[in-house]
Amino acid sequence: MILNSEQESFRASVSSFLAAKLPISALRALGDKPVATAYDRDLWGELAVLGASSITVPAASGGAEFGWLALGAVAQEVGRRLSPTPLLSSVVLAQGALIQCASPEQVARYLPALLNGDEVWAVAFEEQTHFSPDCLQTAMTPLGLCGSKGMVLDGAAADRLLVTALDGSGQWGLLLVDPDTPGITLRASRLMDGRQYVAFEFSEVSELACEWVAGPAAKGAWARVLNQAMAVLAAEMLGSARELCERTIEYLKEREQFDVKIGSFQALQHRAAHMYSELELSQAAVDAALIAFDTQGSDQCAMASAAKALANECFQLISDEAVQMHGGMGVTDALDIGLFLKRSRVCNQLLGDTHWHHLRYADRSGF
Amino acid sequence: MEDSDSLIAFREEVKAWLRASCPLSQRRPIVQKEQIWAGRQRHFHSEDARRWFEAARDRGFTAPEWPVRYGGAGLSVTEASILREEMQALGCRPPLYDQGLWMLGPALLVFGTEAQKQQHLPAICRGEIRWAQGYSEPNAGSDLANLQMKAEDDGDFFRVHGSKIWTTKADEADWIFCLVRTDDSGPKQQGISFLLVDLATPGVSVSPIPLISGESDFCQTFFDDVLVPKANLVGELNGGWAVAKEVLRHERQLMSSFESMAEKPKVNVVELATQHIKRQGDGAISNLDIRVCLARHLMRDRAVKQLGARIEQQGRARCGDPRLPLLMKYLSTREIQQKNEIKLKILGYRGLSLSAPDDPESCDSIVKQWAFDKALTIAGGTSEIQLNIIAKRGLGLPLGSSSE
Repeated sequence: MILNSEQESFRASVSSFLAAKLPISALRALGDKPVATAYDRDLWGELAVLGASSITVPAASGGAEFGWLALGAVAQEVGRRLSPTPLLSSVVLAQGALIQCASPEQVARYLPALLNGDEVWAVAFEEQTHFSPDCLQTAMTPLGLCGSKGMVLDGAAADRLLVTALDGSGQWGLLLVDPDTPGITLRASRLMDGRQYVAFEFSEVSELACEWVAGPAAKGAWARVLNQAMAVLAAEMLGSARELCERTIEYLKEREQFDVKIGSFQALQHRAAHMYSELELSQAAVDAALIAFDTQGSDQCAMASAAKALANECFQLISDEAVQMHGGMGVTDALDIGLFLKRSRVCNQLLGDTHWHHLRYADRSGF
Repeated sequence: MEDSDSLIAFREEVKAWLRASCPLSQRRPIVQKEQIWAGRQRHFHSEDARRWFEAARDRGFTAPEWPVRYGGAGLSVTEASILREEMQALGCRPPLYDQGLWMLGPALLVFGTEAQKQQHLPAICRGEIRWAQGYSEPNAGSDLANLQMKAEDDGDFFRVHGSKIWTTKADEADWIFCLVRTDDSGPKQQGISFLLVDLATPGVSVSPIPLISGESDFCQTFFDDVLVPKANLVGELNGGWAVAKEVLRHERQLMSSFESMAEKPKVNVVELATQHIKRQGDGAISNLDIRVCLARHLMRDRAVKQLGARIEQQGRARCGDPRLPLLMKYLSTREIQQKNEIKLKILGYRGLSLSAPDDPESCDSIVKQWAFDKALTIAGGTSEIQLNIIAKRGLGLPLGSSSE
């Protein structure tokens, strides 16, 4: 990817911030905190001031307008350190949905607090055991909002919640609700990647407490937000895969067995070269998807699916190989390798597994 | 990246020139028998083909980046990629096919003497001489430096004997560029020289090799006491390995762009799938395995092209990651083979025959391509050699017992 000098210096400033304040040890430390803690709010506030919350937001709305390629570059830096931040949950998904689906008045009302880091939001849209954006049963009934949602990223840390739901006439919609509203219960879990995922129950939540931010006309815009989230998550995954690839190759150059560096063995050289080839191949697909968003290119669904499918396979390959090539040390918690391995499997499921994306790509390509 | 004003003007001018100079028949996808190969036996399939070739030749566009004095057009890297883009946009066929153009010429520009450049480069640009490549030998494949064909000092001449194998279309070529052994006293890579040989010289004989595809695109070429003038030595005596590596670099670039040069299949793989496999109500093909394999292949094939575009873009911005070009041959040849395998899966019983391989309407031509393309991961440095290179030069892994 080629960033211009402004984008590049922005990326570098976020990168040094993350290296100093949110290294991998921050993820480990998070595991000792109550599950309600999804990330460090104060550090996110600082990152928001740096501009991490407004990368793709137009200048007219108070954003930096650096574009999706720059957001992808920041996501990669996040992925390199497995830094817990609400970049995907609050910025790409929730704020993205607000900007692209809601009315100008609602955007004007809510966006400033998100941009300056005072508020963080989450979106509740999953109802099945696998990514199923077309499955929607949560509905606004005469008694109020009823239904259940799962796998809400950083959901227990959110000040407000966007929820996909059917409106009174059974049409798709998106509503905004305060998670403390009576009738809403939640169960937060820390999954094996150390991150917070939340299940919500909505039981006759008064419609008066809910604010519709989008109706059926914005369904396509929400699909676009999901595409963007897929590509940004894919960029983050490749940041993780790149870090892991580099660490593994360094290890091959250091570790000695049979009196030689194990990196001199051709079997391992070929596997390392294959890993690296897959990494750069996947990077090309991810960058192309991000550029397609920046240039309003056609075929964004297929590009986003290609990005996520290649990132899934690439991160899985590299995390498996990293564990294997680190030998016994690879399965100890003393090294960080296992954290990446576990993250890879969680990311595989988020926003569509490989099979889901293959089928959508086939669909978009007319077979 | 945005073009500057002068590049915008260049693009417009080239576009207009192509529209005026490239007949419509030469903008249809290329078919193998209509490719314009260089050489003394050169022939044109049609008058349009001749017109297109001559126009490109006269403009220097058979070798756009070569200096004008050697028959090229003297274009910068950026201008040449603009030309390529515009040719692609219009669907213009390559005006000339020749290994001299793709491989020998770039190496001569770096290593050739002025006299050699004068003698060979203009003839290459004008498509007068067809070149073959003489690298591999029966006992020197991946271990290329093990080559044994000898060139012994004999006054103003070298006396050459031995044989070369996998010499592409040597039976139709005029000259051959060869790696020969001029010293076997030291390390094997240091006693190799790069020599140009006229295939009409007495003592040269050529024998085509039948392949699994039923074709004989490759030959074995025998040299029995062949006298070659010393003026035909390129680079230093015993310094041929450096020249060879330069040629190989161009060969790998070529092979990773192989598809754009090759005959475009009449039916692409998606059409093949939708025509041959039963479809469900929503248009999805009913064989889930093929559906998934094909989607995965298309994503990866597209990513290979996106990676190629990224390399080109980085090159233009002069911030190229030198590791990326090392990946292209490995990745792209695998994907071409993958596509062929999917085509066979789609065809089922119909994809098992080679009896009518030259009928482009027949499934047999797809089978022929499948068999022929098995060579892609072998020729020009096997995939295993590519992985060695990526590991050592790209990733800096320590030298082991194997070598490039």
